[in-house]
Parts: sequence; C-alpha cells; structure tokens
Amino acid sequence: MKTSAPKESAFVERRRGDWDELEALIHRAPRGLKKIEPLAIARLSPLYRDVCADLARARAAKYSAPLLEYLDTLTASAHALLYGRPTRALATRLDKTERLPVLAAFPRAVRRRWRAVLLASALFFVPMLIGVLVSTLDPTFAFKIVPQAMLEPLTEAYAKGFADGRTSGDGALMAGFYINNNVGIALRCFALGIFGGLGSAIYLVHNGLSIGAILGYVASQGAGGNIVTFIVGHGSLELGAIVLAGGAGLSIGWSVVAPGDKRRVDALQDAARDVVVIVLGAAVMLLMAAAIEAFWSGSSVPTAIKRSVGGALAVLVLAYLGLAGRR
Amino acid sequence: MSEGVLIDTVVSIETPEHIVFQHRVAGPARRAMAHLVDLVLCYGAVFVVGVLIAIAALGASSIGAAIDDALKLGVGLLLVLLFAAQWVWFAAWESLRGDTPGKRAFGLRVVTTTGRPIGFTQAALRNLLRAADLLPSAYLAGVVAMAISPRFQRIGDLVAGTLVVADARVARSQQRFALWPPPYPHELAALPTEVVLDADERSAIELFLRRVGALGVAREQELASMIVESFARRHGFQGPILDPVRTLALLYDRAANTGRVDAPPSSRTGLAA
Repeated sequence: MKTSAPKESAFVERRRGDWDELEALIHRAPRGLKKIEPLAIARLSPLYRDVCADLARARAAKYSAPLLEYLDTLTASAHALLYGRPTRALATRLDKTERLPVLAAFPRAVRRRWRAVLLASALFFVPMLIGVLVSTLDPTFAFKIVPQAMLEPLTEAYAKGFADGRTSGDGALMAGFYINNNVGIALRCFALGIFGGLGSAIYLVHNGLSIGAILGYVASQGAGGNIVTFIVGHGSLELGAIVLAGGAGLSIGWSVVAPGDKRRVDALQDAARDVVVIVLGAAVMLLMAAAIEAFWSGSSVPTAIKRSVGGALAVLVLAYLGLAGRR
Repeated sequence: MSEGVLIDTVVSIETPEHIVFQHRVAGPARRAMAHLVDLVLCYGAVFVVGVLIAIAALGASSIGAAIDDALKLGVGLLLVLLFAAQWVWFAAWESLRGDTPGKRAFGLRVVTTTGRPIGFTQAALRNLLRAADLLPSAYLAGVVAMAISPRFQRIGDLVAGTLVVADARVARSQQRFALWPPPYPHELAALPTEVVLDADERSAIELFLRRVGALGVAREQELASMIVESFARRHGFQGPILDPVRTLALLYDRAANTGRVDAPPSSRTGLAA
C-alpha cells in the first residue's frame, strides 16, 4: 500500500506559518486566556486543531524526531492553554450560593472525617492526660520527655505571673516564633501521615505527652494555675488545629493502607483532595492562635477575664466545627 | 504506540480531539538543579530582608529609639519569612502559574497526570507533602518514590496527581537535522536525483546521525560502514564511499529534505502498527 506523504521539508515549509502564529499566541498568554483579546482566542481554536492534525500526520509519515518533539510540545502547550485548569479542584466542591463557602467547607470536611479526627484526639489527649498525671505525681518523669534545662526556666516564668505583661516587641517576636514553629508542626503532622498514618500518630502522641509533662511539672512546682490561665486563651485553637491536622494525616494514611476497591494511588488522591481544606483550616486556626498567644495569653489582663474569654472561645470553636454549614 | 515512544521518560496524554501528545517527564537531576535555584532565590530574599532589618535596627539605635523592641519585631518578621520560604514559596508560585522561578529557569512545568495545568489544591498538596519527601534527609524518600514511580513522581506528586515535565522550547531550525558542510559538487554528482527511503530506514538513519559526534569517530565509521554499501548500491550512489558517515548523511538529506517525492510508508507495516 502506498500512501502519499510530502517530504518533511515541504511539509514544514507549508505549515510553518500556522505553527509560528500559534507559538506566538502561547507566548503572549503564559498565565491563561485572560490576557489575550477575543479575536486571538478565536484564532487559537482552529490553530490548535490544525496542529493536532499535523502531529498525527507527522507521526504517520515518521518525520524526524526533532520535528515530532516540536509538534508534541506545541500541541501540549496549546492544549494546556485552551483547556485550562482542572475543574475537580476545591472550588467545585464549594457551594457558590452560600455567602462564605470556604467557612462552611472546612467544618463539613472535619465532620466528614470524624472517625479520623476522633482517633487523632485520642492519640493526642490520652498521652497528654498521662503526662499530666504522671509528672504531677513524679516531677522527675517530665525530665525524661522535656529537657530539665528547658523546664526550670519555664516554671520560673510561670511562677512570676503576668503582672509585668509583655512588651510589644516581645509579642511580635513570639508571634513570629509561634507561626514558624506551630504551623510548621501541624503541616508536618499532616504530611507525614502518608506513611500509613504513622508519622501523624507519632507527632500527636509526642506533642500530647510533652505538653502534658510540662503542664504536670509546672503544676507540681505550684504554678499550675498560671499555666492554665496562659494556655486557656489560645489552647482551643492551637491544640484543636494540631489534632485536626493529625486527623487529616491519618485519613491519607488510612487511604494507603486500606484503599478499598480503588487503586491505591487513586484512593490516596481522593482522600488528599478531600482533607486538604482541613489542613488549610488548621493552619489558619494556628495563625489566629499565634496572635492570641503572643499578645493576649501573656498579657497583664486579669486572670478571671482571661479564663472566661478562653472558655468562651473554646465553646465557639467546638460549636463552629460541630454546627457550621449543616444543611 | 509506535517505536521511539518506548523511552520511559515520556508520558502520553490523550486530548478530546483524540490526539495523543507526549510530555517529556523531567528527571531527578534537572529537578534538583531547579530546586537549588529556588532555594537560593527564596532564602536569598530572606537573607536580604534580614540584613535590612539589622541595618534598620542599628539606625534606630543611633537616633536613640527603643532598639530592643525594634529588633525583636524584626526577628519576629524574619521568622515569619522563614516560614513562608519553607511552606508558601513553592505552593504560591505553582498555583499562580504552574512553575517556580527555578523550574522556569530549567524549562520545567508542573502538570496534572492528565496533562492539564495544576490548580490551587494540587499546588498546595504537592508542596505540603514535600515534608515527607524530604525525609530522612536530602529528599531521600522523594528520590526513592521517583525511582519506583513510572513517571518520576515524588510522594507529593503521587498525592496531588501531578507530574513535572520538561518543555522543549528550542527553535525549530536548530533542531532539524542539517547536512553540514553542504554537499560539494562532486558529491552532488555522485548522488541520485531522488532517494526513496522508507519511514523505518529514514528514522533509523536519523537517529544514528543525531548521535554522530557523541559515539567516537571509530565507532561511528564502523556502524555506518555496516549498512552504507547496501544502501548506496540500492539507491544508485555513483561514487567511491570514502566516508561512510558522510555518505549516509548525504543519502538521508536527499531523502528527507530535498525535492518532493512521496515516500512509501513503513516496509514493516505489520510490525509498526
């Protein structure tokens, strides 16, 4: 069978004009179609379909590899420009009729993953309770978990109370530290869940135990009231966010361990897309917690006010996560 | 797919037009270089801000302002920037335009496994999971994942459903095979007016000619001399074969680039299909 295919050079000469035009269009719109005028967009579609046909023709005629590669790249770039971003993204799951769809999507995702969040709470709060109890009874236990060199100055600071307050400079410094440290911990607590959930579990248990040990030790030295006053202000947001990030990590870990009837990688991708809003929500909670911890928790505001505001905030956080966005 | 696509660094994507195009998947080395560039850029920016803060604090102290508070504010700001360098830089760039400055410098781009540009969710996920790829140090987990995955995906890519591809944005004229130096009169005299190579022969010779210069002269001559006799005789080459590589190049050039004679399709149609 003989088919009729022009020589490569003749083919290139004939089609070069269109290719150059398409290439110029693509270069003018590296970030999408918004930057180019309607007339040019109208040109894009026929040029793209022609280059698709050229690619098929060039492959059938087995033209040289560089030409095929060039046409491949041109087709791919034009395809990316014309078809745009995937629509399976976060935005499509948001209900656009609601006033603040993201604010509702976050607690919904948390409730959808309630089993993982419950497990994460247990992995965090049970070791924390153990830490509190054991180091209250035996303060030296705390040294095994948190270095003594860190615990003693901490205890002294809490024993002093908050009469001096904090300077604005201290507040800003600590806010930066909390953002860098705490948000980083939460994000890592999520990411390491990929290893069958083990990374998240270790982070949760370790952080719970450490915080519990500090609480118990400081209490055993007689400054328990002060440290509770300090933590209650931001604790609901901060500890809650770590637990939520850990729950999201356990979710992706579980999808790898038990993918059900999906392929493992598909189950993983579905779970990750489902929980990413939890992780981002937890990060926002931690940013808020950092501001409170830096400028409020250590301030000279009277204890009674601090405790009631902290308690009210905790109720608010739980109510938001439990009730917001219910249909 | 036809031959030449068996190379495992290529991933095929089918469009709604039922055209399959190929992305060249980027390997670990090129991605590591791009990553280094990004690290230098974002931590360089943090460093510059740090120096500015130090200078500002010194300036404040010379006019007697509260240096302590100003400096602490500066350090707080620096910590926030360090956080952003680690967790925000990559995700922000990639969700805005599908690459980072480092990737752009090396012609790399992040696309979904279906070949489309990535969105915010994918950019966030693949960069959050960077924390897992980094373990235990120096991206060891990421490199292992890339070695196992057929498409060089690190853990973050697997979770987000993304690929890093290399764009071949090289001028077409530089890419095509060109006969150099141009044929001499005595060579033209020896060449037949038309050479008809079938598609398989043409692509085999082309692949060989593209590698000339990288194989070593002796090996090139040896390879070319294996086939040049039969080719030259079959196509009526009228002259002594002094240089087998040059003779093959002349025949190829005549077949692919000169004139407009239709070539038959593959002689091994059954195999190629």
